[in-house]
Amino acid sequence: MLKTLLKGGIAAAALWAAAPGAMAQELVIGLRAGPDSIDPHWSTLGSQAEALRHVFDTLVGVDENLQLIPGLATGWEPIDEDTWEFKIREGVQFHNGETLTAHDVKFSIERIPAVTGPMSMTIYTKRVKDVEVIDDNTLHVHTNGTAPSLPNDFIRLFVVPASTGMEAGNEEFNSGEKAIGTGPYEYVSWEPKGDLKLERFDGYWGETPHWQTVIRREIADDAARVAALQSGQVDLINYVPASDYLTMQGNPDLDTFVSDSVYILNIAPSVKDEEPQPITIDGKEVEGNPLQDLRVRKALDLAIDRNTLVRVVLEGLGTPANQLMPEGFFGYSDKLGERQYDLEQAKALMAEAGYPDGFEIDFTCTNNRVPGDAVVCEALAQMWSKLGLKVNAQALNGTVFFPAAAREEYTMTMSAWGTLTGEASYTYGSLTHSKDDELGLGAFNRTGYANAEFDTLFDEGQMTLDEAKRRDLFEQASFIAMEDRALIPTVILQTVWAAEADTLSFTPRTDQETLAYKISPAE
Amino acid sequence: MTGFLLQRLMQAAAVIVAMSVIVFTGVFAIGNPIDVLIDPGADQAIRAKLIAQYGLDQPLWRQYFAFVGNVVRGDLGTSMVYNVPVVDLVFSRLPATLELVLVSVTIAAGIGIPAGIWAGYHPGSLSARAIMALSVLGFSVPTFWIGMLLIMTFAVQLGWLPSGGRGDLGQLLWFETSLATADGWSHVIMPAINLSLFKMGLMIRLSRAGMVEAMRTDYVRFARAQGLPDHQIVTRHVLRNISIPLVTVFGLELGSTLAFAVVTESVFNWPGVGKLIIDSILQLDRPVMVSYLVMVVVLFVLINLVVDLIYARLDPRVRLKGGA
Repeated sequence: MLKTLLKGGIAAAALWAAAPGAMAQELVIGLRAGPDSIDPHWSTLGSQAEALRHVFDTLVGVDENLQLIPGLATGWEPIDEDTWEFKIREGVQFHNGETLTAHDVKFSIERIPAVTGPMSMTIYTKRVKDVEVIDDNTLHVHTNGTAPSLPNDFIRLFVVPASTGMEAGNEEFNSGEKAIGTGPYEYVSWEPKGDLKLERFDGYWGETPHWQTVIRREIADDAARVAALQSGQVDLINYVPASDYLTMQGNPDLDTFVSDSVYILNIAPSVKDEEPQPITIDGKEVEGNPLQDLRVRKALDLAIDRNTLVRVVLEGLGTPANQLMPEGFFGYSDKLGERQYDLEQAKALMAEAGYPDGFEIDFTCTNNRVPGDAVVCEALAQMWSKLGLKVNAQALNGTVFFPAAAREEYTMTMSAWGTLTGEASYTYGSLTHSKDDELGLGAFNRTGYANAEFDTLFDEGQMTLDEAKRRDLFEQASFIAMEDRALIPTVILQTVWAAEADTLSFTPRTDQETLAYKISPAE
Repeated sequence: MTGFLLQRLMQAAAVIVAMSVIVFTGVFAIGNPIDVLIDPGADQAIRAKLIAQYGLDQPLWRQYFAFVGNVVRGDLGTSMVYNVPVVDLVFSRLPATLELVLVSVTIAAGIGIPAGIWAGYHPGSLSARAIMALSVLGFSVPTFWIGMLLIMTFAVQLGWLPSGGRGDLGQLLWFETSLATADGWSHVIMPAINLSLFKMGLMIRLSRAGMVEAMRTDYVRFARAQGLPDHQIVTRHVLRNISIPLVTVFGLELGSTLAFAVVTESVFNWPGVGKLIIDSILQLDRPVMVSYLVMVVVLFVLINLVVDLIYARLDPRVRLKGGA
């Protein structure tokens, strides 16, 4: 009798213990932004890639620091000047039971130009001339010219089965009919700006993720996202605003996770012969463009107190930057020292350049693209006023800022740039290479900066397959552009995640992706 | 009656054309949406190709007529961000907004009008003064702040209600709505109250003002002299006379809430159309912006039409004349 009672008690206890276990199989994440579509070839948007990575795998993978690791390709190497060989992983299954082959990869590459939208994914395939399937597990990609960074381009090359067919578009993907990948999770449902529901895929080739069900809930409003976490509606949130981060640190019920991001706030001074918005002294336009003078750009740089920017303006959520990429990225120059703050020297340089009493200048920034862009903008204006400058700072909505910046209407701007491929050619090729429509370089060079020495080194790097040599060339090139103050980097932004205390463990990623399959319950 | 309707429809068409021109020109002036959307990794060739693909290299008038041509054929365009027809996008989110607005205007009118009448019937009394003070609060305290306060109190501290989102859906008559489930109501109640406060303040003030004025009129005095009980005077005669301004404002508020409940929808993460349009503006998703605003114009025109029809029922002196 006693025994049966005991047994019953144990069984009940076991049941009771199992119940929260079953609950813990579900993870609800509150995110600032979600995907725009379930078609993985529609858009290059970061939040799109982040969400779809659960359903689809990429040919080449990246680790937390954006360095390359095997993905659906187990290895890759250049076999001649303009051909890359990719070895396709064996025994990988799609969610519909088909087995992955090189044909699927070829199909995926060729599908992109046919279906991609305004955030065009062709940026990842622009170097591809044609794709040749050697056998089921070997793929040759022929490039137009030498393309050493092709594997970096393929970190967002999502692979769909060839059976998808060219006609399938957004509708078939959003409905789930064609949302077939090889990823750790199967697609259940999604609505724009709403929830993305995912179920664990049991045939996944990689490590089996912990969570059976994952809900990625889009909560764009910062305060609403924090409230959702505090009220227990979600288990984890990303992009915690700086003000809430401070209060959360004093809250024993919440854990925070902080990481450097790839985003750096850069100042872009126009060095054209005539600046777009006039620089004036006492209301009279200055002859020539003072920003063309390296001494003036150096003075602007020296007058920035980066530690104050980080500590005071960004509430500690940043790191001083001395170049356009974080440390460890391919092409990061070790030779560039920390940027100095030296107001006296800055003033001396201004005087030397012929502007002892400064000048009046317009300075335009974004105000809603990354956390802190507007406050840093204001702070910079104040720092430069100590140099004797009168700075008309204006922080604008990105909707207004970007089109006007593209028309090159601003004399000096500040906006964020993230090196999303983890290597230098992406960033320096777009921002500091001289404008060259034919080569497709300098597409975002709006300052008119052109340095033949930089261009030569960079172009040579672009043609060099040897990794060590290429790294060295890119390091030299970035050194030159930074010494020239082609752009002036200020701070690397940091981002914060938060979860209920002692519930989750995960390693924040530089690209800020919140990946459910990399998150596990706390020990 | 038919003449009146016809005239109204012609006016509506003129308003829609004017509005579409203004919106289109305004949006065009902001700049090229490709420059907002484009990936930083894109080169010049890709940018030029995209601009041509979306017809953004065409002059303004040609883009406008292409748009009008499509609308006439029943195609309001496809979102540049979601690659989904704008109509589908809007209608997938409209039910959520409709139920939120419905609950909130019901609260606003259901509490606001009786409270206002009470305050107008007993002007100067303590309860009337309390009601008026509350209406001022409803007007002046910012919506997002009250929203946060509600969330902090009822979701975070007390844990009674969810902090945001839309609850489970159920079937009610022919509609799928969260108003059919208990979970749905627990989600809708806070944002609806939040959204109703301003309107409630408005309803209180309007009905009180109307009431005070009406109670001084001759017909009320005569009715009293005749010995009619007060409640009969108020419900039969006064209410009918003060309802014209109420209906007008109610209609306008209904329209603007349907179209632009942005703040509440953001704070409570409510998946309605207000949030959609704000996000589209931030991304310069031109087809959604333009088509949505045109749809809003149609909505306002329709609501005003209904309001006019109600006028005629309420006040026989208002004649719906056809022609001039």
